[in-house]
Amino acid sequence: MLVSILHRATGDGMALVGLAVLVWWLGALASGPEAYETFAWVMASPIGYLVMVGLTWAFFTHMMSGLRHFVLDIGAGYELDTNKMWSILSPMIAIVLTVAVWTLLVIRDGGLG
Amino acid sequence: MGDGTSIGRVRGLGSSHHGAHHWLTHRFTAIANLVLMSWFIISLLLLGDYSYASVIGWISQPLSSVAMMLLCANLFWHAQMGLQVLIEDYVHDPGMKFGVLTVLNLAAVGGGAFCIFSVATLAFGA
Repeated sequence: MLVSILHRATGDGMALVGLAVLVWWLGALASGPEAYETFAWVMASPIGYLVMVGLTWAFFTHMMSGLRHFVLDIGAGYELDTNKMWSILSPMIAIVLTVAVWTLLVIRDGGLG
Repeated sequence: MGDGTSIGRVRGLGSSHHGAHHWLTHRFTAIANLVLMSWFIISLLLLGDYSYASVIGWISQPLSSVAMMLLCANLFWHAQMGLQVLIEDYVHDPGMKFGVLTVLNLAAVGGGAFCIFSVATLAFGA
């Protein structure tokens, strides 16, 4: 139940927020260094980090529940124990992947700046 | 087919035969997104430096440009399908549904076209 709601919320959330960021990022790159500076400055602000970490989490959560859906779509994984285990593991693996990516970004690169 | 109750109005019409195609296309674009987003995230992590010069140097290479354009098209396609299902689930007034779906399709095609064009200008060094 929760995994299903999360799948839709993260998917439609990324469709609205994530694609807006993608449009801005590519548009800024195409418009030149000054436009890109503005984009980079906003993304390195606290709100920018919140959006980028949120999108990373939304992506991995959607990816994991999507992979789970693929397994269920072929008719596997409906045994109660298996189904329950992956419904818990999927969102947890997504959090681990999100933390891993941002740990790498912050420790190695010192963040987005 | 009657014209009384809501079930009477649709009984005997059969399915619209679009559902299975929508469902399958949603999955095909999901697989493509999995491949392209994996490439995108790994590329960004390998890049490390997100300055203008660094990003331009990476994205303007032929392989990056093509993958990025495919990613743009595929993301907007998949997102359009997901939002369409959301709208069909929650917007029940026929006129409102038609209007919202029209806006969605315009935004999805427009956004995708803008992103692909932006990558193209970088690839061709404009």
